[in-house]
Amino acid sequence: MEVITQNVVYFIVVLAIMVLLFVWAYLTGRMQKEFTTMTWVLIPVAIAINLTIGQIVLVLKLPVYLDSIGTVLVGVICGPWAGALTGALSNIIAGIILDPGWFPWFPVAAVIGATAGVMANIGYFKNWWKVVVTGFIIAVAATIVGTPISILIFGGISASGSSIITAFLLETGRSLMTAVLTTNFIAEPVDKIATSLLAFAILDGLSARYLTRFPRGENAAVEKGQQQVQLIIALVVVALLILFGIYVLPSITSG
Amino acid sequence: MSLNRSFFVPIDSPLHRLNPLTKLTFVFAMIISAFLSVPDMAPALAVLVLLTGFIGKVQRQYRTVLLKLILPAILFMFVMQSVFLPGGETILIQVGRFDVARENVRAAFLTVSRVFVMVSSFAILLLTTHPSKLMADLTRRGLPPQLAYVIISTLQILPQMQAKAQTILSAQRSRGLDTESTFLKRVRAIVPLVGPLVFGSLVEVEERAIAIEARGFTSPRAKTFLYEVPDTRADRLIRWTLVIFTLLSLAARIWLS
Amino acid sequence: MAIVNLHNVTYKYPLTETPALQNVNLRVKEGEFVAIIGRNGAGKSTLCYTLAGFVPHFFKGELTGSVEVAGMDASKSHLHEWVLNVGLVFQNPFNQISGAKYTVFEEIAFGLENIGVPRDEMKVRVEEAMRLTGISDLADRSPYSLSGGQQQRVALTSILVMQPKVLVLDEPTSQLDPIGAREVFGVIRTMAEQGMTVVLAEHKVEWIARFADRVVALHEGKIILDGTPREVLTSDLLLDKGFGISRYTSAARKARELGLWRQEQLPVTLEEAAEGFALTPNASPKRRCESK
Repeated sequence: MEVITQNVVYFIVVLAIMVLLFVWAYLTGRMQKEFTTMTWVLIPVAIAINLTIGQIVLVLKLPVYLDSIGTVLVGVICGPWAGALTGALSNIIAGIILDPGWFPWFPVAAVIGATAGVMANIGYFKNWWKVVVTGFIIAVAATIVGTPISILIFGGISASGSSIITAFLLETGRSLMTAVLTTNFIAEPVDKIATSLLAFAILDGLSARYLTRFPRGENAAVEKGQQQVQLIIALVVVALLILFGIYVLPSITSG
Repeated sequence: MSLNRSFFVPIDSPLHRLNPLTKLTFVFAMIISAFLSVPDMAPALAVLVLLTGFIGKVQRQYRTVLLKLILPAILFMFVMQSVFLPGGETILIQVGRFDVARENVRAAFLTVSRVFVMVSSFAILLLTTHPSKLMADLTRRGLPPQLAYVIISTLQILPQMQAKAQTILSAQRSRGLDTESTFLKRVRAIVPLVGPLVFGSLVEVEERAIAIEARGFTSPRAKTFLYEVPDTRADRLIRWTLVIFTLLSLAARIWLS
Repeated sequence: MAIVNLHNVTYKYPLTETPALQNVNLRVKEGEFVAIIGRNGAGKSTLCYTLAGFVPHFFKGELTGSVEVAGMDASKSHLHEWVLNVGLVFQNPFNQISGAKYTVFEEIAFGLENIGVPRDEMKVRVEEAMRLTGISDLADRSPYSLSGGQQQRVALTSILVMQPKVLVLDEPTSQLDPIGAREVFGVIRTMAEQGMTVVLAEHKVEWIARFADRVVALHEGKIILDGTPREVLTSDLLLDKGFGISRYTSAARKARELGLWRQEQLPVTLEEAAEGFALTPNASPKRRCESK
């Protein structure tokens, strides 16, 4: 029960921060700039891409979800608020037509879109290694938001496949919080880096002229002259970070 | 892959006739009470939601949703949590080397009831409310019309894209694309499947944006609505009752703890 | 009274060097039916977008010169004001479905909802527009379940119901089968006959020749010919620049080389060709054609 009370406090803090950000972005007009007609028309397509590719991946039985490619796309070329809206609506609509179990995860999806947008705005969606970094940051954000939802709504073990890892960790004596956090920290980076790389490949295939129609189309302008070495270094660094995180997380949450 | 446009069942029933906002209020009242009120409230609300489902004359469809979507997920969660949650003293039974404690079974039952209330009340709303009525009513009450556009448009685009995905999948398979064998081959299969699906629909975005602009999508004038969605006195009464109920159930939580 | 007045218009899309339109001057009188011909990439779509306000408001880019349509000035008006006066229909019928509606009736009412037409008036206008374009029987169907030709007529109706002063059509039949194309052309003809100002970019020169008041030929972003259908469509310039021309014109041109066509004017339509050949004295075919 104590975990749940902690979570309620946590939720209220997160909600307050979001409301403040919202008011700030609204009053400064940053938010409105992201929502042109192109954005409004892109969002439904992006949601359909999320859910359809998510289903293709299920057919292929791959150990990732890849159900936020569209969310990342919108975040990058329209902006963080548009990305957040796409993510949130994606889960709400999946809840409406596929399985209502998607619904509670909408804050995670929103954070994925927002993070992608912020990273792209500071120029981190312009070549392969930067995209890997962005993917990792998205995963960290998704873990931070997803863990409390998992515990509060689903008691830590939901109907998703990765719950098996959680169950295993619980059995080895970890606390619920540690187990869920560690599970997410293993599953999320792989998924979100793959998602970001695929989104980048898609943007790379669209003409620069077409991208200018979107509010932040310039975010996807590809930097030339990069080497494969950078990509490999980025992947290795991220892999080390994940291992380090898994090692360190239990001591943080227990302390 | 599901090709459902939505859950909606086009018949007439007391629930169908209610104003969409009333049903939406019901959903949120149930969810808030189930999660934030005293723990024992959740199973009671689960029963209430289950019974409500039968006023809507959508029993058959409701049962399908229950059996296909809700029950499997819920049973899985119930079993996993009963067995794997740590702690608990009163051991009921032992499954292999795992202890099933009474406390954990109780916690699992509560979580499962809450999830049931959430998912099932939403299902009732969707079974008895046409998406465009829901959106028209909410837009009239101040929801940005662009949001209504996004939701309805997604509901229409998604089945088309799923159908296209299915076509591409079978076409690529018949050309020998390997979607079954080794892990690496399946990973490589993603690109030829995703590419054709995504680029076509992204290029359509520009033309569709032009088409809806041409029809006044960004007009600053106050919108009007083709359909009038009735909102009766009974609707308002039910809504206020639900709001009061929610407040009382929150008060009960604070009072009793 | 010119309802459309383009003066020295030059336009470049963002990130491009060559202008899509160069020094375009075009005046269209109220009630006139003007057809625009040109090869792919000649600037037909850009010209249509300019008339409909999407260039420069939607596409951004650089526009010089002045654009005035129905009393509005491109440099001063917003796109949402523009669309109240100018309606645009383009090639792909599928992409013109808003996606926001479940039935054809609702789809056509979408524009009226957006611009705040009261409910009673809305219903009357939708029904009237559907009668005009002959799609009343499709009212309750889903727009996605229709054939291309039906979808294009729904798109056309959705624009007509907004009662624009100028109707701009960018190759509205290029993606339709012959039956669908005929139905759409039928509606366009009705509108032109009822006195609406119509600007139509189109490949099908035989149809243009019969119904348009005026033809404008675009080549590499410039207007190279502007005149009556017969003047423009039989011009040798079109042949030089590789335009698609009427098969009757080609046939008569060949016949003229063989001495079988004695009229001064070349024909564009089947009727003109038949008439011309009938008037040719001694039309006995002498085979002077070298065998290949």
